[in-house]
Amino acid sequence: MHRNVVHESRRISKSHNHCPPIQYWIFPRLHRFPLYLKGASPASISLRLFQQFLLRLQRIPKKIVRLISLAISGMDAKDVEEDEFGFSRNYFLAKDLRGSGKKSTRKLSDIDLVDEQELREAASRIEIKHEKDIGLLVDSYKSLYSKWAFDLRCGFGLLMYGFGSKKSLLEDFASSALTDSGVVVMNGYLQSVNIKQVVIALAELLWDQMKAKRKTSIGGLQKTQQPFSSQSMEDLIAFMDGSQMKDSDLWDKKMVHTQFNWCWYHVPTFMPYKLEGMFFPLILASSGTSQNAKTAAIVLQRMPVNDLYGVCRERFLVSSQVTLNSHLTEFKDHELVKTRRHSDGQDCLYIPLTSEALQKVLQQI
Amino acid sequence: MAPSKTPDSPPPSSSTDDSENSLQPFFVLHKALPQKGGGRVNRSGKSKRKINLSASPESAFKSGGGEQFEEDADYHFEQLRIEAFDVVWPKIETTIKEVLRNINGSVFNKIHDWICDSFHAIRSARKPSVWQISCPYPLATDISSRQIHTGLVFTKNVEFVDDLVTFKDLSMHLRSKGCHVVSLSSLDFSGKHGLGGCLRSLLRQLLLVSPDSADVSILASWYREPENCDSPLVMIIDEMERCGGLILSDFILMLSEWVVKLPVILILGIATTDDSLRNVLQLNVLQHLRPCTFSLGSPAGKLDAIIEAVFLKNWSGFYIGHEVVAFFRNYFSMQDGTVTSFIRALKIACTKHFLMEPLSFLCEGFVHEDFQGFWTEKCSSLRKPILKYASDLPSCETRHKSSGVTCESLAFGLSEMKKQHKDWVSVLLCLYEVAKLTKVPLLGIFCEALDPKLYNLRASPNYFAEKIRNLEASAVKKSEIVQLVRRVRNSAGAPLRQLLLAWGKHTEDIAEIHVKLKELENILEDEENTVSQECDEATFKRLKSRSHLNARRVNDKAAELMECMIKNYLRPMECTPLHEIVCFKQVKMLKLALIGDPRRTIQIDLLKSHNYLHYNCGPEGGNAPLRSMHDTAILYTLAQEHGDLINLHDWFQSFKSIILVPSPSKKRKSGHRTPDHRATQDAKQETTSAVRYCRAKNEYNICRLILTPYKRGGRCRSRKAKQP
Repeated sequence: MHRNVVHESRRISKSHNHCPPIQYWIFPRLHRFPLYLKGASPASISLRLFQQFLLRLQRIPKKIVRLISLAISGMDAKDVEEDEFGFSRNYFLAKDLRGSGKKSTRKLSDIDLVDEQELREAASRIEIKHEKDIGLLVDSYKSLYSKWAFDLRCGFGLLMYGFGSKKSLLEDFASSALTDSGVVVMNGYLQSVNIKQVVIALAELLWDQMKAKRKTSIGGLQKTQQPFSSQSMEDLIAFMDGSQMKDSDLWDKKMVHTQFNWCWYHVPTFMPYKLEGMFFPLILASSGTSQNAKTAAIVLQRMPVNDLYGVCRERFLVSSQVTLNSHLTEFKDHELVKTRRHSDGQDCLYIPLTSEALQKVLQQI
Repeated sequence: MAPSKTPDSPPPSSSTDDSENSLQPFFVLHKALPQKGGGRVNRSGKSKRKINLSASPESAFKSGGGEQFEEDADYHFEQLRIEAFDVVWPKIETTIKEVLRNINGSVFNKIHDWICDSFHAIRSARKPSVWQISCPYPLATDISSRQIHTGLVFTKNVEFVDDLVTFKDLSMHLRSKGCHVVSLSSLDFSGKHGLGGCLRSLLRQLLLVSPDSADVSILASWYREPENCDSPLVMIIDEMERCGGLILSDFILMLSEWVVKLPVILILGIATTDDSLRNVLQLNVLQHLRPCTFSLGSPAGKLDAIIEAVFLKNWSGFYIGHEVVAFFRNYFSMQDGTVTSFIRALKIACTKHFLMEPLSFLCEGFVHEDFQGFWTEKCSSLRKPILKYASDLPSCETRHKSSGVTCESLAFGLSEMKKQHKDWVSVLLCLYEVAKLTKVPLLGIFCEALDPKLYNLRASPNYFAEKIRNLEASAVKKSEIVQLVRRVRNSAGAPLRQLLLAWGKHTEDIAEIHVKLKELENILEDEENTVSQECDEATFKRLKSRSHLNARRVNDKAAELMECMIKNYLRPMECTPLHEIVCFKQVKMLKLALIGDPRRTIQIDLLKSHNYLHYNCGPEGGNAPLRSMHDTAILYTLAQEHGDLINLHDWFQSFKSIILVPSPSKKRKSGHRTPDHRATQDAKQETTSAVRYCRAKNEYNICRLILTPYKRGGRCRSRKAKQP
């Protein structure tokens, strides 16, 4: 019972405007949010462990960077992962080169592209192929729920892989088989995941569970009667949708042994990646270029750096240029603020949001 | 699929909530529900589990009563298995921890002694005066007095995973002995954080605060406190090779400046050789180190010790089959080589066993003092269906074919298994004694001793003679056990005597063997006495040659005894009736749980989608793209034809041509329609195919089977796994 479940299912497209390589973005910039919890509250030990868990995840962004470069460079010789499959690639390359004389030079622009709005509407209406079989397939996994729960109970994390979205399957599993644990779902396909908020939510959940545990223990419930009692809160149950990952992409050996304890499960669902793919561009849509222009136009509140210091000082926000710079570095790291060279040669700062969004943010603050 | 509605589950969320939740970066699906005493909290209506009795026995449960009974029995056994797992696995885990602690214990003690000596040496040679202590800057002295006592701990392990635990244990050990201990990792010495980073980490660990400025003088003033200054200050850096050389060099130079006021003792974990010190550190830094070397046990040695403790000396009731051990052996030697991953694999095997094997709760009996009482009690409560299941176990099919397994025979069978295992262990330990002479690892012998096929082969009378003859042929796969028997045959004098003594200890409970051993020992003793009593040189030579012949005879007899022990008592677990209850043999399942191969598997999923979605896959077994296929599977099949670089345009056209193949009846119908209507239909079809293509391609992207360039309209690069 003293567990949290983090369900992570991630697929993030960094930009909406073009089709980027897939990037895994688990806890972006986690190291910016070190959480040092002190005191001797009942939950402090577990929280400290949890903190360690999170702090250790600091290395993930590096891995992501590696992955991005891997994806962009494509067939780079440094790409170990690609080398592993060298044989098949070489075979196909050879095959490809043989027929290079006939290589097609046609482009997507040769096709009559459909209007994006129309395409998206059609996409929402389109019926799912093999819906009945998919339903049966997903239902067939219900018999495995108790096995998965048993694995979780034994201290393993579950790593589900195989073709098809597993979001609803995992949520159903958590809703029906893990009712005695708190469950937090992290939608990793969204790039707005803020680790600080997640940590607070998890800490609150853990705190509630600790309180509940104390109540039940006062009530005289035996330890052995509690399904997850043998494992204390120090274990954070995690299960993860790993359909398209290679384990080395997200964690290194040290983390596998110290932070995660994965038990792999092959769970193909063939369910559509509806939510996971919602930020992916439709490549046959015709409005891609206008979208680019729109984004480029979202440059607001531009202000030269020197002016900014003056304003901030006036408002008693900062007392020195050094403090301001440290704040700005932080903001830049989080991509909350970007710089652009002004026509007069000065560096300008801008917030990459639309004016409406910015106004909304200001209202909320 | 909406979350299922169960009595215990929270109220089902509406579809609006679902869509809102899916746009939230994170959300709380539900909070933990308060438990109801003794209730089935983690069992919901939807996840009711049937004990998997593999095929036929499943029906056996059904014959035992109504559904309620089935469910109760099912739940009852599941609880029993969970309880048994909670007894068995912690025992294995404790045994392992103890083994590792014992292996490291002697090295840890040596390190501590050296630390004490070093500390006294620093103090006696360079005791600072009161003035020196209170001055706020380091004391400048000559180079020799600025040397730091440095313990180089060779881990003999390129993989550092095991050493993480070892160094953690070391710091705990030293702390328990009163030292101030700081553990620094290679991350602290990365270029990103600089020298300030490791100083901050140091201060955080010792002073338990995060200071704004990282200054070594803060540390010096902390150490000056009366309660701190009488203990050595030990800094452990576990992965020296991975540290940033410049920062580590600066760190050491800085400490050497302060060494009079801060008697720091460094411990560096080194995976390779001491050459790495020269590679990582600058030359001028090396002269500030006064090294002393220590060696930890090798991973293979640790693994042998774990196997000996877990499966031979302190058996906890869970066993692994020959194939699983062979897999572990390969996994350890070829893939990873860390004790940590071996333990993890063992835990997965144990979990799977208690999950899959309905009778596995009986394993708990092996750790009970009154094991017979335990089994009698547990077995007497078993009902017919489960006894029928036990009778149907492959290992019981011949023995209990007519009568079937009863409560009594089940309890008796388990007691027999325990006794038989004890004999097996005795003989294996005798073999291990021989192996120690030639430094052969236990894992190989353990694996061979568990092989049921080899056991059957060994039953033939001339097995060992033939195998020993064949040992000379290099092409033949050499049996470890046969080599050990040959080693016994070739042993003489003191080693043989030592061997017989050790065997005597291991076979105390096997009377037949013990008697034969005593006889052999007496013969050997007589021969030695005769030789030592005669002093005349001529007779000494004569007797020595006779004694040599006799010794040969004793060797042969010892080898014969060894063969006899192996044939009669080295009966693998898998040849024992009811072994399925304690023995995990599902190597495939273990592999799947341990080593996921997502990219390859996802391609197989797409290639064999007809196995999951039941459509007609055509004459080629699903390799040709068909309209009835899943859209992404069609794209995958087409990508196979395209090769490594895929032209998006051509890909789309091929996809469209497959999904839009018009049926003949459709063609006829369309003939009656107006051109406008046909154009609308065509546009509709064009949009549908575009949508389906985009969606399938995005799914293909999500599965990371393709890399799409930034530039629109280009080509994609297909990322193929080994051809499934």
